[in-house]
Amino acid sequence: MAAVSVHQFAQCITCHAWSPDHSMIAFCPNNNEVHIYKLLDGKWEKIHVLQKHDQIVSGVDWGTESNRIVTVSHDRNSYVWSQEATEWVPTLVILRLNRAALCVQWSPKENKFAVGSGAKTVCVCYYEQENNWWVSKVIRKRHDSSVTSVAWHPDNILLATTSTDGKCRVFSTFIKGVDVKKAASASSDSKFGEQIMQLDLSYSWAFGMKWSPSGHVLAYVGHNSMIYFVDDVGPSPSAQNVAFRDLPLRDVLFISERMVIGVGFDCNPMVFTADRRGLWSFLRFLDEKKTSSSAKSGSQLTEKIGKFYGQSKYGSNDTNETSRTQGGAHENCITNIVPLKKPGDTTVTRFSTSGLDGKVVIWELQSQHDLLGYL
Amino acid sequence: MAEFEEADNAEAIITRIEHKSRKIESLLKQYKPVEALKTALEGSPPNTKDERCKSANWIVVHRAIMAIKDVDSLFSSLDPEYYDVLMKYLYRGLSTGDRPTCDQCLRIHEKLTERAGLGCILRSLADKVNTV
Repeated sequence: MAAVSVHQFAQCITCHAWSPDHSMIAFCPNNNEVHIYKLLDGKWEKIHVLQKHDQIVSGVDWGTESNRIVTVSHDRNSYVWSQEATEWVPTLVILRLNRAALCVQWSPKENKFAVGSGAKTVCVCYYEQENNWWVSKVIRKRHDSSVTSVAWHPDNILLATTSTDGKCRVFSTFIKGVDVKKAASASSDSKFGEQIMQLDLSYSWAFGMKWSPSGHVLAYVGHNSMIYFVDDVGPSPSAQNVAFRDLPLRDVLFISERMVIGVGFDCNPMVFTADRRGLWSFLRFLDEKKTSSSAKSGSQLTEKIGKFYGQSKYGSNDTNETSRTQGGAHENCITNIVPLKKPGDTTVTRFSTSGLDGKVVIWELQSQHDLLGYL
Repeated sequence: MAEFEEADNAEAIITRIEHKSRKIESLLKQYKPVEALKTALEGSPPNTKDERCKSANWIVVHRAIMAIKDVDSLFSSLDPEYYDVLMKYLYRGLSTGDRPTCDQCLRIHEKLTERAGLGCILRSLADKVNTV
């Protein structure tokens, strides 16, 4: 079984993040608070409630090195929380947004964080030592619609964004005084907000995206049940569109250079792997389900369509239609996937997922023997 | 940018479709409905905004769809790359509301969903740019 532990924290979870030592989890239970739970004696206990936002907290990220939590909410605000003694102290970050903030991520060095918003902008915030506050720089141009997801490149400067206009864009977020210009690198696009690349691969909304550990490959998902892999991000990228059989994904995670896990409306993580030539394809679902898969639900759907048009081809099978609990770990759409990486590890073998069913499930890949070759 | 090309191309596309139509009629006479459908789906003009081209191609595809009797054999010889386009045409057929068309489209839809999965339906719904 790939799922090692399942816990129902709330009725619905919008986002979650782990503390640096993975002992505490912070998540938003679909309201304006962030709850922090700690595993004490095998039981999850609520130890803190962060209450500052006025509306749903749409994104939370916990810095592994700095131990700071950043939260963004539909109330157009963002707070950076630092732990002092036993309390979490919030610092307001003025994002200057006129629409909701949708997603947030700390940069790899944790000196900046990026916020995607419904105002068609991305805010990159950094800490100004002299004034002791967080300043936000806004990338206003380019996006035609809400920015649904942001992902930092390992070099701490390039930022990729996906948007509901279906496009994925890569920007440079070089900030003088915060970032150090690499003398050897030929990146002349060192201006803040400069668009390096725009990918027009998807005709529908684009959601979760991530960079591979080395930063060579970018993966993002579209709402049309496709996942896009982009190699050689730069002036001449090469892209692969992988169409798959099932419902769309919402978020992705790179386990290693050759394996990606996607999560979404099928309530089951999907494993995508790259073969030796670098061609990506869908391998299998991660969770073993007891009942049958989408083929059966397809015929149930057409049974309903058939009935609707007055042609019942399957006799009376009405009692069969119950709720869609398929015996898997999650019962509803999975919206978030977060790696549980120990410092010093190059690949991820454990990760957690949270979804609209309010559950957080921790998955372990070491037990999946057919996947170990891709780690 | 592409509008001037559209006007010229529209005529070229319609002639191509008429050409295809004759080929399809001959294939149907030879009792090869699967080949006919493949020819009809090939070169579907999803990139034109011209409604006439889309309608012309729809008529041709419709003819081929209605001629199919054995749905299972259809999928054993149809390449997966045509699944998404076929699904879009099936929905166009279902939207006509015409009883025999809808019956046939439903029959094919059921088998196509079994083969291609729900993702195929998603792709035909989500794609607002390449419509048929």
